[in-house]
Amino acid sequence: MALFMTSTLTIAALASAEKMLNAALRYDPATRIGLAQLEGKILAVQITAPALQFFIMPMDDELRLMGNWDGDVDTRITGSLLALAQLSQTEIHNLKDSGVTVMGDLSLLADLQRLVKNLDIDWEEMLSQFTGDIVGHQTAQMIRAKFGWAKDRAQSAQRLTSEFLTEELKALPSKPELEDFYRQVDDLRLAVDRAAARVETIINRKNIKEKSNP
Amino acid sequence: MNDKKTTHFGFQEVPVEEKAERVAEVFHSVAAKYDVMNDLMSGGIHRLWKRFTIEASGVRAGHKVLDIAGGTGDLSYQFAKLVGSNGQVVLADINASMLGVGRDRLTDRGIAGNINFAQCDAQFLPFPDNTFDCITIAFGLRNVTDKDMALRSMLRVLKPGGRLLVLEFSKPQSEILSKIYDTYSFKVLPFMGKLVTNDAESYRYLAESIRMHPDQQTLKEMMDTAGFVRTEFHNMTGGIVALHKGIKP
Repeated sequence: MALFMTSTLTIAALASAEKMLNAALRYDPATRIGLAQLEGKILAVQITAPALQFFIMPMDDELRLMGNWDGDVDTRITGSLLALAQLSQTEIHNLKDSGVTVMGDLSLLADLQRLVKNLDIDWEEMLSQFTGDIVGHQTAQMIRAKFGWAKDRAQSAQRLTSEFLTEELKALPSKPELEDFYRQVDDLRLAVDRAAARVETIINRKNIKEKSNP
Repeated sequence: MNDKKTTHFGFQEVPVEEKAERVAEVFHSVAAKYDVMNDLMSGGIHRLWKRFTIEASGVRAGHKVLDIAGGTGDLSYQFAKLVGSNGQVVLADINASMLGVGRDRLTDRGIAGNINFAQCDAQFLPFPDNTFDCITIAFGLRNVTDKDMALRSMLRVLKPGGRLLVLEFSKPQSEILSKIYDTYSFKVLPFMGKLVTNDAESYRYLAESIRMHPDQQTLKEMMDTAGFVRTEFHNMTGGIVALHKGIKP
């Protein structure tokens, strides 16, 4: 029976991972509120390499990781450790070619992924609980490299788009042009203020003169 | 001829009616530092054994759970969270000192509303038939005078389809582990008991009672005889501890 398959070591690793996740959650009240809304849902995670199954259950604005769950699950996700780790940090738009299969309620997966994505988690430490130090380190390196590359690509894409719109398409003003424009507006505002003050002074003088020579 | 019925209290034979009292003395003595000693004795592994028990319980929102010999409330705390406001947990213990420690601890941790406390004997559970979805007894069955009677009592108060989980010290599966474990239990354990609770005798009893407890297969057969079905057990930490499970038909 599947219920009685978990070793004490796996339970220890899951307990440790759960502690790390919840430690990260402790300083993130917004995520904890989000988790509270998912209470009672069960996500089964089936890792193919290395072979491991566990269950994630949001409970009391924390996450519980369990080696056994003797009941229905809302969502079951299957894939290699690396594929699943990558999925935890990228947007779920298309699972094609991701090496991950999902059965059941995809929204639970998306909600959990969105909530966990922003947590500052020591992946190396967590993975090494299950895989040993060497594999854990290598997998964590790959995850970091992938996400580092993704971040670089996102930043350079933003820069290239900006240059294309301003320099090539001339659809938008460049930053120096904008600053020059703002400076001219400021000069104009000051000149208008000075003119207004001058007009007011002239009117005052005229009024005083009329009062003294009616 | 003396035909007075006796039972074991550790390695001693004592009259049946005395065992409960003798066990009570042990737990009155260790109650205040029970958790510290458990951590020391097991190196913290008892938390993992209990964690596995929670996972195997299948308890969910709305369930009614009876935690027999619940002592300081480790399992009840988790069950109270799992069953939610619509469920109910009863923390039961025969020993008032242990129950008091458990009740204070759970109250301090904010558990209220869905938990009740009952001082009762596992052999004579004071609940109606078919009440609970799940019953657990963790490290308690070996202290019960008549284990068969206790199992029958648990069966009675379980709902049909409900499950009993017995977490208890058992028989190590390897000879080498068994020898190391013996040395540890009879030499180290009483010494630690002396240091922490100033009570070596109580911890000597604990070690002896573990040896006198039925092994995995015998306990499984006792559960079958009591009327449980689909009984099975899972060894943990090389069989030092086993979790037995049975379903009420």
